[in-house]
Amino acid sequence: MRRSRQLFLALTLAFGAAACDEKLSSIAGPTPDLEPTFSSIQANIFELTDSAGRNACTSCHTNVGRNPAGGLNLLHDAAYDQLINVSAIQVPALKRVTPGDPQASYVVHKVEGRAGIVGTRMPRNGPPYMTDGQILILKRWIELGAPRN
Amino acid sequence: MNRSLARLFTAAALSLCLAPAAFAQDDDDTVLKPAEPDFTIASLGTNMRLPQNKMTFRLTHRFEGPLNDNGIGDLFGLDAGAQMGLEFRYGVITGGQVGFYRTNDKTIELFGQYSLLRQGSLPLDLSARVGVEGTNNFQDSYSPSVGLVISHRFGDAAALYVEPTWVNNTNTLPKELVDDNDSINLGIGARIRIRPTVYVIGEVTPRVSGFKPNSNQATFGIEKRAGGHMFQLNISNGFATMPASLARGAFTTDNWYLGFNLARKFY
Ligand code: HEC
Repeated sequence: MRRSRQLFLALTLAFGAAACDEKLSSIAGPTPDLEPTFSSIQANIFELTDSAGRNACTSCHTNVGRNPAGGLNLLHDAAYDQLINVSAIQVPALKRVTPGDPQASYVVHKVEGRAGIVGTRMPRNGPPYMTDGQILILKRWIELGAPRN
Repeated sequence: MNRSLARLFTAAALSLCLAPAAFAQDDDDTVLKPAEPDFTIASLGTNMRLPQNKMTFRLTHRFEGPLNDNGIGDLFGLDAGAQMGLEFRYGVITGGQVGFYRTNDKTIELFGQYSLLRQGSLPLDLSARVGVEGTNNFQDSYSPSVGLVISHRFGDAAALYVEPTWVNNTNTLPKELVDDNDSINLGIGARIRIRPTVYVIGEVTPRVSGFKPNSNQATFGIEKRAGGHMFQLNISNGFATMPASLARGAFTTDNWYLGFNLARKFY
């Protein structure tokens, strides 16, 4: 009796202790290493043409040639300072990235292709566009205060 | 781990240590206590003990068309699909039961419940319940839960339930993307015996902390006991029948859905 009771308790507790979670890579789609950090977004979104064929933002947004497309340089030495708390050229009432507030970040409006944007949805030569999962991860980085991490 | 969580765990751990006390009493679990005639209220569990080596079976059914949408046109939601669940419980040891429950959205819950204290010298029945829900036939996303079922029977007339439950991984997004991935449900329920074999039930599951989207689920119903059978007709504002789905809440407070539960005891 006692033995079986202990066994029962041990089993049920072991059950409950098995905390589990979805893997980030399960929603990161064609960029399985993407995380909500600046360096990861820089490497996997801005500077990488992913396996789904979505163009690297830096195939246009550079300092090479004439003015950068949209007045935005996303190469890694420049990107952070070009985004954080910088008013968008197209919709100056919005910052490109408002730390802590993805809804008030124009870059989110552009990659989601929202109704109020000027110009086209990004990447300009899409589809493919960023996947819903990639956009969620971008928004989460902004929500976490858009740190330079 | 936040404070309330730590307290819940301490309470659970303490009550597990008290467990041997439960064995001092030995009323016969096969004898029905009229105030607690079933293993569940609607979605929440009760403190009913399943005799060792006995089993029970339950069917839950929630029509997916809102009662108030098209009225008689689609027979109060009956024409829309339904979320159905099948449950099987088995008494593995005296006071301890394990169960398997599956709904047709392919979520499976495996659970165990152990009776720690029985109303008598103390004014409460108490059990600890643990479970794990797994989506996609227990293959994809797992949400473990640990909770207490605290109840008081008022003679043969009624029973009142309070069920604090911690549920992990309630947010279906990866933890890197969310602030809260745990919820604490505070299930509250009651069953009132209005005729010798007829009861009214009500329950609501507020989420007191953590991830708590949408509105709290509430269910009301009327039920009839016939021997080892229980038939319950209910209305609720959501389809949740397991801890993690209760933590995710009901979609709205405006829509109410018809449902029923059927239970059968094999003893
Ligand atoms: C094929 C070239 C091209 C690619 C690839 C591209 N863009 Fe653009 N982007 C442009 C051009 C051209 C504009 C200005 C015209 C427009 O908005 O349609 C622009 C404008 C923008 C603006 C508006 C800047 C402002 O301040 O008004 C943002 C934000 C932006 N792009 C973000 C991105 C991001 C993020 C990516 C990668 C996911 C990306 N773009 C990929 C060409 C591109």
